[in-house]
Amino acid sequence: MLLGESRIVSALKRAAAASPADETLIAAQRESFTTLRFAGERIHQSFQEEEVTVWVKVAVRGRIGVATTCSLSHEALMKAIESAMTITRVAVKPTASASRPTASAAKPTTPPFSSAPPKIPTPRLTTYFPGTAHRPLTEIVPMIQHLWKTAGSVGVSLAGSFVRGEEELAVAGSRGLAQYQPFSIAGLRLVPTKGKASGFAAQVSRDLGVLEPEPLLERALRLCRMNEDPKEIPVGKYDVLLEPEAVSELLEWLGYIGFGAKQVTERTSFMAGRMGERIMGRGISISDDGANPEGLAVPFDYEGIPKQQVPLIRQGVASGIVYDSHYARLHRHGSTGHAGSYDQFEGPLPTNLFLAAGDPPAAELIRKMDRGLWIGRFHYVSGLLNTQEALMTGLTRDGTFLIKKGKVAGAVKNLRFTQSILEAFSKVAAVSRERRLVADPSQGLSAAVCPALLIQDFTFTGQTK
Amino acid sequence: MDGRIRNLIDQTIKSLRRRGVDYADVRWVKQLEEEIIVQNLQVQHISHSTSEGISIRVLHRGAWGHAASSRLDGPGLAHTAEQALEMAKAVALSCQEKVALEPVEPARARYATPLEVDPFQVELQKKLDYLLWTTQVLKDHPNIKTATACLEFYRTNKLFCSTEGSLIEQEITESGGMLEATAILNNEVQRRSYPTANSSSLTQGGYESVKGLDFVGQASRVRKEAVSLLRAKECPAEISTVILMPDQLILQLHESCGHPVELDRALGMELSFAGGSFLTPELLGSFRYGSKWVNITADATAPSGCGTFGYDDEGVPAQRVPIIRDGLFVGYLSSRETAQRIRRTSSGAMRADGWNSMPIVRMTNVNLEPGDGTLEGMIRETKRGILMATNKSWSIDDRRLNFQFGTEIAWEIRQGRIGQVLKNPMYTGITPEFWGSCTGVAGKGQWQLFGVPNCAKGEPVQIMHVGHGAAPARFERVQVGRKR
Repeated sequence: MLLGESRIVSALKRAAAASPADETLIAAQRESFTTLRFAGERIHQSFQEEEVTVWVKVAVRGRIGVATTCSLSHEALMKAIESAMTITRVAVKPTASASRPTASAAKPTTPPFSSAPPKIPTPRLTTYFPGTAHRPLTEIVPMIQHLWKTAGSVGVSLAGSFVRGEEELAVAGSRGLAQYQPFSIAGLRLVPTKGKASGFAAQVSRDLGVLEPEPLLERALRLCRMNEDPKEIPVGKYDVLLEPEAVSELLEWLGYIGFGAKQVTERTSFMAGRMGERIMGRGISISDDGANPEGLAVPFDYEGIPKQQVPLIRQGVASGIVYDSHYARLHRHGSTGHAGSYDQFEGPLPTNLFLAAGDPPAAELIRKMDRGLWIGRFHYVSGLLNTQEALMTGLTRDGTFLIKKGKVAGAVKNLRFTQSILEAFSKVAAVSRERRLVADPSQGLSAAVCPALLIQDFTFTGQTK
Repeated sequence: MDGRIRNLIDQTIKSLRRRGVDYADVRWVKQLEEEIIVQNLQVQHISHSTSEGISIRVLHRGAWGHAASSRLDGPGLAHTAEQALEMAKAVALSCQEKVALEPVEPARARYATPLEVDPFQVELQKKLDYLLWTTQVLKDHPNIKTATACLEFYRTNKLFCSTEGSLIEQEITESGGMLEATAILNNEVQRRSYPTANSSSLTQGGYESVKGLDFVGQASRVRKEAVSLLRAKECPAEISTVILMPDQLILQLHESCGHPVELDRALGMELSFAGGSFLTPELLGSFRYGSKWVNITADATAPSGCGTFGYDDEGVPAQRVPIIRDGLFVGYLSSRETAQRIRRTSSGAMRADGWNSMPIVRMTNVNLEPGDGTLEGMIRETKRGILMATNKSWSIDDRRLNFQFGTEIAWEIRQGRIGQVLKNPMYTGITPEFWGSCTGVAGKGQWQLFGVPNCAKGEPVQIMHVGHGAAPARFERVQVGRKR
């Protein structure tokens, strides 16, 4: 059951008010998740976890201290505040020494944040569906069992996972900030296998009632059947049709290496110094939109700032990046509501990414291909090869199909791509009308909403056995 | 640990025994963490974290139920135990095949990290001074735009009790850090790191291990190498002899040996997320994984390793297990349940990343054993090749066969000598072909153990601290560079 707004926010407000710091921000996240993992006609892992994480950030004369705890008791919160205060008391001036930095070289910590209510209103969003987190396991287990029995009846083994849970996010500040939002989440992931052939389908929603296990199984089984007896093909350049799950992998990596203010500040981002420049094709528009219910909506960030809709790429042109309060001050820009938890050091990141839909229905995209590859999803993508070029590598997984004259001509073995995604997104021939929500349900505060993409000349550099 | 919690755990175990469960264990875990980051002579981030909770695992009617909570009072533990039991009962409804556990002798034991200086007793000011000094040396060139140094300290206290009678207390302390210089010239951006990239390298030990890293001494080399990369030649795309330094080999070991020898993966239990393994049980004892030079061990007893402990998280003692012997695949990382499924004994590799996670099969310290060569000797014997150092990127397929790694820096080898610096190096291969091409491993004197704190596995994802040791090693006919 939810702890509820009054219980969490009042605990945070009481502690923030009692804090001796110049400014105090406290964020709390409570999670309760159930995970069932299955393979080989049995549930081999079943796990119920309930936890609270509280992050405290204090500022004293411009110096910031951060501490975390796992309890909402007043005693624990005040202990965390004291721990954070200890950090702010550390002298920034290092010990005098000829070879060590001088006092003038050492500067105070980052500028402070605001613990006052935000000037723009927080959108009202429905993010909690009570039936999702509390449906009895005695109803869920037979549903899973039915899925593996159905797969088994056609000679296929089924692996997968079911996750459902609820989360509460609250932020309070010493100058009156108070935010609270409850969330529910449910997700089903299916990987049928037969010999070396495999398929994949997954669905996630804030509402368990929206999940459609049987159509999902049907899609995964179809891919698995089509994937039997995959052939080798020469590596090189191919036109590709990427399903939304494959596109989301690339999009999330673009977000991680390029759309945050820290990466731009440090000039490791492909966006650095290129704002206003065309870096992708006209068909590509990417935004981050925490308030959009088509994704997994989250109305505010860990600093309590409402999430803004931020155009990142507009018709191929580099248009914006996301900020938290620290980078907003550094860049003399407003925060866009993208602060992460206070103990992370990756800077503000887009966590609700949207790639704009196109016109043609997804079913038409295959028909548009003369010769190419249809790819369901990628595995183990790395975007760290050359972040200024957005050069990435990764492999296809659970179904890669050769397309000839608009029709599936057979399965091929998994392939490794090594490709600049800026270059690939400059060669987009079509974007599907339909989009899918792609997310890991156990991390229910981030997601991507993607269409399928038809891309020309995608570079494959290796093939697996 | 306080006696109140121990009493509550005793009561919980007794209560579960009374309820007639097949087996149950209770883990109490408290974790402390301190992280300090200095960037360009500014204090960027300091944080202290505390997390404490309890995890209860119940095997009932042959099915698992597992629950975890940070509620550490009597009703909280009773509720968590009830949740675990109810979950096991629900799962048992679908259970055709009952879980069996390989027998283990109950242990009553205590393990603590040997350390000289408790890192949590060292003044914050002293740690900060060390990092400020490091970044001053690191930043001392106009092309170095970002100089970052960080320190991290972890303390994990655990109590494990089982219905079989085990009672194990452990206190594990880890210390480490990293430094990183980003050099920029026009549109060229290059990075060098030490001792590893992308995350701190941890040692199980006290503050003395931080001193051993010699950040200030290493900072000038790191700075110079970062700057040298700005004008370096691109690593060519060719088939070449490659010598890998330990700070790259550890990722090669991790991805192409550590993960595929996890027995839960090999049995298909990770198919829904991370994937399977090409090292399936029927290959055990007969499959040639590498050349005769390749000996790989999973060693949970290695002094100062991040994968070292007294007992794993289901009460199995730490072990040193051969994985690859003279190139032959001979062992798995396993748990009591998975080992029993292939009629072997557990290798003691069942680990959880905290109280709020269930134990799963994880790496301990997966080490490439030293050979009898030297780095200098291997270079001398190489007419044309490339020496690569410090992992930058990693990717491998879902059966752990086709891999591609990028490193931060490389050097040409020409006629037995180190030549010019190469930027953006990468190499790719197929796991058994690659290890089969190994023609030499340097000896003990050049062997190093690293702590890798960011191994991700499981649903929900758990981030585990593991260890890898390696000495420089040579491989023949490797595809290097970026094919276009």
